[in-house]
Amino acid sequence: MSNKRWYLPITVVFLFLGIMLSLQFQAQTRVASDLTQQRTETLITMVRGLSEKRQKLALEIIDLGNQLRSQMESSQDEQKMLQSISQETEKLNIVNGTTEQKGPGLTITIEDYMPIVYTDLLNIVNELWNAGAEAIAINEHRITQHTTISYTETHATTEREAVFDDYYVMFITVNHQIINYPIIISAIGDPNNLEKGLTLPGGIMDNLALFNAYPLINKEEKLTIPAVEAPHTHYFVKEYNPETEKLKSSNETETKQKKP
Amino acid sequence: MWFIIPVLGLILGVYLGSAVTFQLPAIYLKYMSIAVLASLDSVFGGIRSIMEEKFDGTILLTGFFTNALLAALLTYLGDRLGVDLYYAAVFAFGVRLFQNLAAIRHHFLTRLRNKRQVKQGESNE
Repeated sequence: MSNKRWYLPITVVFLFLGIMLSLQFQAQTRVASDLTQQRTETLITMVRGLSEKRQKLALEIIDLGNQLRSQMESSQDEQKMLQSISQETEKLNIVNGTTEQKGPGLTITIEDYMPIVYTDLLNIVNELWNAGAEAIAINEHRITQHTTISYTETHATTEREAVFDDYYVMFITVNHQIINYPIIISAIGDPNNLEKGLTLPGGIMDNLALFNAYPLINKEEKLTIPAVEAPHTHYFVKEYNPETEKLKSSNETETKQKKP
Repeated sequence: MWFIIPVLGLILGVYLGSAVTFQLPAIYLKYMSIAVLASLDSVFGGIRSIMEEKFDGTILLTGFFTNALLAALLTYLGDRLGVDLYYAAVFAFGVRLFQNLAAIRHHFLTRLRNKRQVKQGESNE
């Protein structure tokens, strides 16, 4: 057979035939898959399937909307919780005196000629708490549950101070710091209530009057009470936590078991 | 294995056709189809001529391209003139295609028979 002669033309022809066939095939499948070329039945089934899919998707939308709403609600709850926590912290700040406080109240001014000892200050402070004071300070010392009101004796440094006995002079201290005259006790609360509490017949003011001490009481509309200088730290008081207690006890038992 | 190289050519052509991103516009689909039919006819004619051992490469190549082009052009012309030459072309090339296929089959059969007779003759001897 004369092979070489017909190899090349046939191969070329086949090559072009292949290209044409595949192009035509692609175009034909494209046309056939066109919606206008579909049979009515297939179109109906397609429509049905698509509408079912659409329904499912609509249900999913509703579902997701519900989820979104519940999430929003939970976030609102969290916000409420946060609010209540911040309110709680505010209260604790007031009680612990960790922040400066402002509000109406009254001031009691004690001049240095008034014969007053530290117990009188204690009584006044107690009476103020009793009358509903919310924050008290003595000369910029915030009074909290950790405040100590006491006295100290030192050598007199000036003659004026040494008027009293034997060159020793007594100072009232708050938190171990000497209080200088005039002593101003400021208290935030209802000014009228506080005044009534102090000037009750037979109350603290009457008592002081017996010693010829007449502290001045001034109602104030705006008072500023400073924060404590150093917040109190707890070293030995620990909060009880059942979980950690359990852990501790279990750890202890484990170590005990391991030892033998 | 003389038919392997053309088959490889066909496969390569199909691959090239599918790899090319060119998409035939739908308007020319009709003309392309008739061109494909014409070229198929040419190819089978070529195979038949190989069988009959009167193969001519030039005739095949020119026939392949001119047939395809002319078929497409005639169909187009028919569309322009309002005569459906498409069906005429389909008919003509279809008939020739089947004739070619029948001729190829005949040649295969005669060859097979000849071989058998030769073998039988050898065994008889």
